[in-house]
Amino acid sequence: MKPLQRKYEALKKILREAYFEKEHAEVSEQWQLNVMRRIRNLGPVQSGPSFFMLFEQFVWRLTPVTCLLIIVGAIIFLKLGFFPDYDVLTLFINNTEELSLAQLF
Amino acid sequence: MRNQLTRPSDAEIIRRVIDGDVNSFEHLLKRYQDYVLRIVTKHIPYNEVEEVAQEVFVRAYQALPGFKQEGSFKQWLSAIAVRTCYDFWRKHYRSRELPMGDLSERHRDWLEKTLSNQSDKSFHEKGREKEAKELLDWALSKLSARDRMVIELVYLEGLSVKEAAALLGWSVSNVKVRSFRSRKKLETLLTGVISA
Repeated sequence: MKPLQRKYEALKKILREAYFEKEHAEVSEQWQLNVMRRIRNLGPVQSGPSFFMLFEQFVWRLTPVTCLLIIVGAIIFLKLGFFPDYDVLTLFINNTEELSLAQLF
Repeated sequence: MRNQLTRPSDAEIIRRVIDGDVNSFEHLLKRYQDYVLRIVTKHIPYNEVEEVAQEVFVRAYQALPGFKQEGSFKQWLSAIAVRTCYDFWRKHYRSRELPMGDLSERHRDWLEKTLSNQSDKSFHEKGREKEAKELLDWALSKLSARDRMVIELVYLEGLSVKEAAALLGWSVSNVKVRSFRSRKKLETLLTGVISA
């Protein structure tokens, strides 16, 4: 294992040298002009917070609260049951004499 | 002293640009173009450097209102440059626009010799820079954009995991795990070259 590791270390050294040997790019004045042209075309930057920044700042901060509300809601639903129609029907069956449909509304 | 009076600070230029003076951005462009080009050159093929460097400055300009003066502008710009390079690779890996040639027998021989010879000679002394560069380009092209960036920053440039995480905007643990996995992938690729 050790000799293999040593071999890779030697290779790593060579690959690092190759990586740093890359030719340095030079740009012309035309390149600068092109960048500035693109920037001028974009117009002045928006100094006020954009919609997306507001979204990021405020909406995402509310995510934990939203998750908590969903969990609490789910627990309440599980406790109360999902079938209110079934509960009303059960009520009808059990108390046929005392309860009529009109009483429900 | 005189130089300080004539040369506006980064913060001053940024304030002017945000106030609507678009032309002031040229000061930042001239001041940091070499720095950005150095970063981009390391990560991007030579013929694409100008285009990507241009994109870095456009992105920096658009994101300028969000720049917090807590850190230096240079540091902030370097993160934009690295992320733009990452986006370049993500885009190109999806479309596979950059064809990568396969390795020849010459590369295999070179790699075998390098791994068998444990002497401390640098690749200049061995005179086989071309093979090393081509092998590196080939191996990096076989990795995903994420693995590629982590390998370049941590394994090749020698940045700490924390520094790489700050540049890429990822969590430290994510970079740590990816760094380990991508190094293993690179080693597997290189071992595969010899055994092929």
